[in-house]
Amino acid sequence: MTFRQARWDEPLLWEVRPPREGAPEAHLPDSIPPELRRRKAVRWPELSELEVARHFTRLSQMNFGIETSFYPLGSCTMKYNPRVSEVLARRPGVADLHPYQPEESVQGILAILWELERSLGRITGLPHISLQIAAGAHGEYVALRMTAAYLKDRGETQRTEVLLPDTAHGTNPASAAMAGFTTREIPSKDGCVDLRALDAALSERTAAFMLTNPNTAGLFEEDILEISDRVHRAGGVLYYDGANLNAILGKTNPGKMGFDVAHLNLHKTFATPHGGGGPGDGALCAGDRLRDYLPVPRLERKGRKFHLSYDHPKSIGKVKTAYGNVGLLLRAYAFIRAHGEEGVKRVSERAVLNSNYLGQRLGEHLPRAFKPLVKHEFVLSGAPLRERGVRTLDLAKRLLDEGVHAPTVYFPSLVEESLMVEAPETESKRDLDAFVEAFLRALHDSPEHLREAPVNLSVGRVDEVRAARALLLSWRDLEKAGAQGAGGAAAGSAAHTGP
Amino acid sequence: MVRWIPGNGEEESLLLKSLGLGSVEELFRDIPEKARIRKIGLDPPMSEMQVVREVDRLLAKNRTLEEFDAFLGAGLYDRYTPAVVDGILQRSEFYTSYTPYQAEASQGVLQTLFEFQSLWVELTDMEVANASLYDGATAIGEAMLMARRLSPGHRFLLPSTLFWERRSVLENYAPRTDMEFVEVPCDPKTGRLDLGFIERESRRDCFGVLVEYPDSLGILQQDLPKVKAAIGDRPLIVSADPLALTILEPPGNWGADIVVGEGQGFGVSSSFGGPLLGLIACRHRDARMLPGRIVGATADGAGRRAFTLTLQAREQHIRRSRATSNICTNQTLVSLAFLAYATAMGPKGLAQLASELASRGQELAKALREVPGLKAPLVEAPFLWEFAVGVEGRGTDEFLRSMFGEGVLAGSSLADPRPGARAPRFPGFLTSVGERTDTAAIDRYARAARKVLGSPTSGGAP
Repeated sequence: MTFRQARWDEPLLWEVRPPREGAPEAHLPDSIPPELRRRKAVRWPELSELEVARHFTRLSQMNFGIETSFYPLGSCTMKYNPRVSEVLARRPGVADLHPYQPEESVQGILAILWELERSLGRITGLPHISLQIAAGAHGEYVALRMTAAYLKDRGETQRTEVLLPDTAHGTNPASAAMAGFTTREIPSKDGCVDLRALDAALSERTAAFMLTNPNTAGLFEEDILEISDRVHRAGGVLYYDGANLNAILGKTNPGKMGFDVAHLNLHKTFATPHGGGGPGDGALCAGDRLRDYLPVPRLERKGRKFHLSYDHPKSIGKVKTAYGNVGLLLRAYAFIRAHGEEGVKRVSERAVLNSNYLGQRLGEHLPRAFKPLVKHEFVLSGAPLRERGVRTLDLAKRLLDEGVHAPTVYFPSLVEESLMVEAPETESKRDLDAFVEAFLRALHDSPEHLREAPVNLSVGRVDEVRAARALLLSWRDLEKAGAQGAGGAAAGSAAHTGP
Repeated sequence: MVRWIPGNGEEESLLLKSLGLGSVEELFRDIPEKARIRKIGLDPPMSEMQVVREVDRLLAKNRTLEEFDAFLGAGLYDRYTPAVVDGILQRSEFYTSYTPYQAEASQGVLQTLFEFQSLWVELTDMEVANASLYDGATAIGEAMLMARRLSPGHRFLLPSTLFWERRSVLENYAPRTDMEFVEVPCDPKTGRLDLGFIERESRRDCFGVLVEYPDSLGILQQDLPKVKAAIGDRPLIVSADPLALTILEPPGNWGADIVVGEGQGFGVSSSFGGPLLGLIACRHRDARMLPGRIVGATADGAGRRAFTLTLQAREQHIRRSRATSNICTNQTLVSLAFLAYATAMGPKGLAQLASELASRGQELAKALREVPGLKAPLVEAPFLWEFAVGVEGRGTDEFLRSMFGEGVLAGSSLADPRPGARAPRFPGFLTSVGERTDTAAIDRYARAARKVLGSPTSGGAP
């Protein structure tokens, strides 16, 4: 164990150099009404370029990234983000395009988006695509808006309920509620959808059933065709949450499984970077049933020309400014083109192989929830740790000390003290074995060390309870609390405790 | 072929052997035969060099902003970003990292987000900001839903000048059938808001009021500081331009309850419309109603300052169907770009850029005012670097197309392009100056406009 993270005690920007007080240093044109002119300049420091570069470089050294660490994060698909995509996305040919330029002047990028749509249509078996999707949750929301419009057209407005398994990602119920539906959770059986419970829940009020396959336990829903039949017979829309698509490329697809609509997280399966939490990059893929309701504009091809068409009377309209996260869409395009048919299939084969291998090895040390054959991820239970007075959280923090990221913890919630582990295709056997070694060192460490972890990072265990109580959410709050200075305690006295 | 899957094809057999399997297909035996596919239908693999060449071949068919005299804006701007900013963004610890749920391994991202939140608080003079939303339009949508949580009522007041695209996004954020939009009229000559209307309507079952600063026609409404007094305790949402806030009185000073904005102009290129950056800030008392991730300061066990995601009980992964929003993935890296750009520019650099652009905006309006057949600005009201222009005697689209033929991207139409859509209340286009707009470019614009408007039949695009 040789990992030590940098520890810089890096000051906040306002502490590097205090901002100057007074009016803005600028000469405004006379046309701006005096009552709207800023009286006091923005409180913001003047730093030299080296000060700027050093500040952010030091901060970056206090952060894991894919190029420093393995992220065995279940449901997150943290794979290598090819460097070439970063180069391509910065080409002036895409970076210096404005979305409101005339179509004739952007035929090249439209050709790329067209090719990407076609590839995603083939990958999902759902040929009608919108790339105007910011992230997975946004795709869910848009699809449910489309579902609502579809149901309204059919006069089926009594369909107000969205069904989901109890293993669903939290975004599923949140999106459904935001789109104006009520939600109902279906209890799982052995980690999969219980057909009897599904039957009991389906009714003339069912608008949609949201499912990911493989599901969040890493299990393939073997009854998927039966599920699809039953949902359709009940009149519902079957929605595919594409968070776990990395497991099935070239083996099956949402269209073949009977799904009506699917969102894809291009920042997972198609290797666009996670960016510390975003920007993500989405695509919404629809079959014939919901096609007409996709957002506008839709990309169309007329001969050799590409055209952004707004002539879709049933469309729900716009869901975002412009056409999507194009800089990221280009990265996904590069990933698919480079891998091609053969490579894209190998992505899933290797991801599933890696996860089953890791599952077998770690399963010798902690109990595995559900059956051993998994797809891209698997779930362990940290419940036995309790006998030693420690928890899954302690194990996760201790793993950080090894220079690897922790797995997803406490999700899915139906497994006690759960750890959800995913090993994408870009991890080598050597790195998987190193992770197992690190995991075992952590697992067998003393309870004291586990509870004290982490000790090798820029800070020790962070007090989240105190953060929620003190609510110091900006530099202003720190000032009011008299809590400036990186070396000292932040939350000496709470500035305010909220309502 | 690219080497993004390790082991050169040899590791697979080692892994299979450990699992006691003969073939990788055995790992997919749980997929029912009827759901199986044999091929996807993608093209054959390419080397990295081939991909680069193919992308470059296609991108060469684009004509970038540099090839025109470009006057496009409407919230998305072509601004120069100091090189140090991209150097920061290309730190792989930033761009390849995951959401900072494991705070101890993520202090870098967490501190930058804390600084980003603090910066939006300073620019707006509000109290609490989140770590980002998707873009300025969805931020207005989220702010409207937040206002709905803060206040009873069913009606939402919005500007009659609101850009159709933002309006359409907003309609998609208002799924409840019991929500009604009410447009606030403004004087067609002066752009002044009808304060009496706002005061009256805000007392009729209204849960929130939206204003833009400047608005979708570029207008700086001078009565904005009076709106809060007119609506009382109804939430006031202000959609503000971040660069404008470096020289304009911040909305927090005139009573805003929620301030949103589009942050793309700070540190990322327009990139054909994305990624963008949704900004939002509110008052302390309403922090628990905010959508999205929030970073707070705290300490570690030894009392050292540390940062962490906080108030997570509002969010979808905890609260599920009762979350304040469904948002999970946000725009963190673009928040970092925003912060790094503002830091690299400094307060003086930002305010000087803003005032310089505002001056050039006046210069452009002066030049276009002299062009027969153009009404510039369309509404005689104060503006900064953007304003609406009317075209007399012929269609806006035809004019813009002809200008394109002259090498000038004069602006973006204010009309909703959907067939059968309502005609815009202010027909015309929005024109916007940028850092590339010098006096020569303004001259070429005016000259091209004269030529286009002077000729009885305008030429098409090249």
